[in-house]
Amino acid sequence: MTARRRWLAEHWIAIASPIALLLVWEWASATGLLRAVFFPRPSTIAVHLRDLALDGILWDHLAITLTRIGWAFTLAAVLGVGIGLAMGLWRRLREGLDPVFAVIYPIPSVLFLPLVSFLVPPGEIALIVTTAVTSFFLIAFTTTHGVRQIDRRVVEAALHYGARGRRLFAAVLLPGALPFIFTGLRLGLGFSLIVVVAVEIVSASRGLGALLWMSWQILKVEDMYATFFVIALLGALLSYGLAALRARLLPWVPDIGDR
Amino acid sequence: MAVAVPAAMLIAWELCARLAIVSPRYFPPPTIVAWTLVDRLIAGDLGGDLLITLTRLAFAFALAAVPAVPLGLLMGMARPVRDLVEPYIAFILPVPKIALLPFLLIILGVGEPAFVVTGASSAFFQIVISTLAGVQTMDPRLIEVGRNYGAHGARLFRKVILPAALPAIFTGLRLGLGLSLVTLVAVEFVAAKSGLGHLVYRHWQMLSTPEMYAAFALVGALGLGLTRGLRALQARVLSWQEEIEL
Repeated sequence: MTARRRWLAEHWIAIASPIALLLVWEWASATGLLRAVFFPRPSTIAVHLRDLALDGILWDHLAITLTRIGWAFTLAAVLGVGIGLAMGLWRRLREGLDPVFAVIYPIPSVLFLPLVSFLVPPGEIALIVTTAVTSFFLIAFTTTHGVRQIDRRVVEAALHYGARGRRLFAAVLLPGALPFIFTGLRLGLGFSLIVVVAVEIVSASRGLGALLWMSWQILKVEDMYATFFVIALLGALLSYGLAALRARLLPWVPDIGDR
Repeated sequence: MAVAVPAAMLIAWELCARLAIVSPRYFPPPTIVAWTLVDRLIAGDLGGDLLITLTRLAFAFALAAVPAVPLGLLMGMARPVRDLVEPYIAFILPVPKIALLPFLLIILGVGEPAFVVTGASSAFFQIVISTLAGVQTMDPRLIEVGRNYGAHGARLFRKVILPAALPAIFTGLRLGLGLSLVTLVAVEFVAAKSGLGHLVYRHWQMLSTPEMYAAFALVGALGLGLTRGLRALQARVLSWQEEIEL
């Protein structure tokens, strides 16, 4: 009880300020101080959110976006970890691919959509591959770094005790690189949400990004806010949920991605 | 290897396109793309769009950095400010910033301000977070030593806190600049009628692929140049501090 009370005493501002903001917002747009066309009342937005949820529209779009994220993330993770491990282990491969990656990585992923749509059938697959691009690079980078930062002495000790091939990999290299791989996966998952929304805004007719963009085009401002809220919630869930998961699974290492 | 692999990839692409193993309509040979790039730069229209993107980037970056650094410092030094602001930062941070574009288009109207503010928003949050981390992770002994030597208030801030947080601030600015370029180009791709992002979109729609790849390459070069340049600058200016790389 006292612990909870102390927690409240320390954090009351962080809880009170959003509530106060919502109340002020509600009051300001109800009295016309804020133009309700641009800033609809939070209670109205909540009603619209409920309607979207009850209609099932929201769930359809959410399910499509989640499916895309799922596929894109899987693609990026498998290729990224695989190539990242290979680049960490073989210097020549790393030296060859580094300059290529360095040029491609800073290009915004939405721009890959045209290129990807030439390479694979346009439509769903092109959307997924485009979404995977940036996550792939992030995961490959962190994995490479994870392998390289393993203490040489640990590897040598393992070699002296006769660990070779698969055993060396499973007992030394993978666990040593795991914290970095996990950080890469977490960042990659966050990025795949960012990119999927952008790609959906550009070219999809379904998904949360598309719902947001269409709501703007037909000026359904309340639906816009409601969709934004769902996207933000999804983002928070992905990034903080995964950070919590890491704390459980790999409690002995600090998250290098925490800035 | 660092030269051989990229060169081999380009040559393979060139050969495949020339021998029509891949469709040259979709994948024009790199030499043609390079010629188009030079041609368009001389003609001036590619340079014009590059300049537009750079101008937007400069405004967006200034708009983000000027309020973000003081806010981050203030959050790091004053607990109530941090408690007050942190929930909003935490809420907006993982959101794709391009999702803010429709709101800004409604509030500011369709036009430059909305594009620039969207670009600024992605840098703003990154810079606040990095600056805050810079203040929070500084060695508390430094402050104690400063106090013992009689530094208080503004002096303590100027002589101790700011120098200690500077590397993190710089990292935040560098990451923020990169993020705002990414967001801006995406915004141009979606909504603007000029700039490199729009150029890629337009030439994609018209299927004039050499121009598309030329604009694409220019965006890549711009991103690479900015990140590398700033990193080199950081190493020079803040040579006494080592940066913690991601």
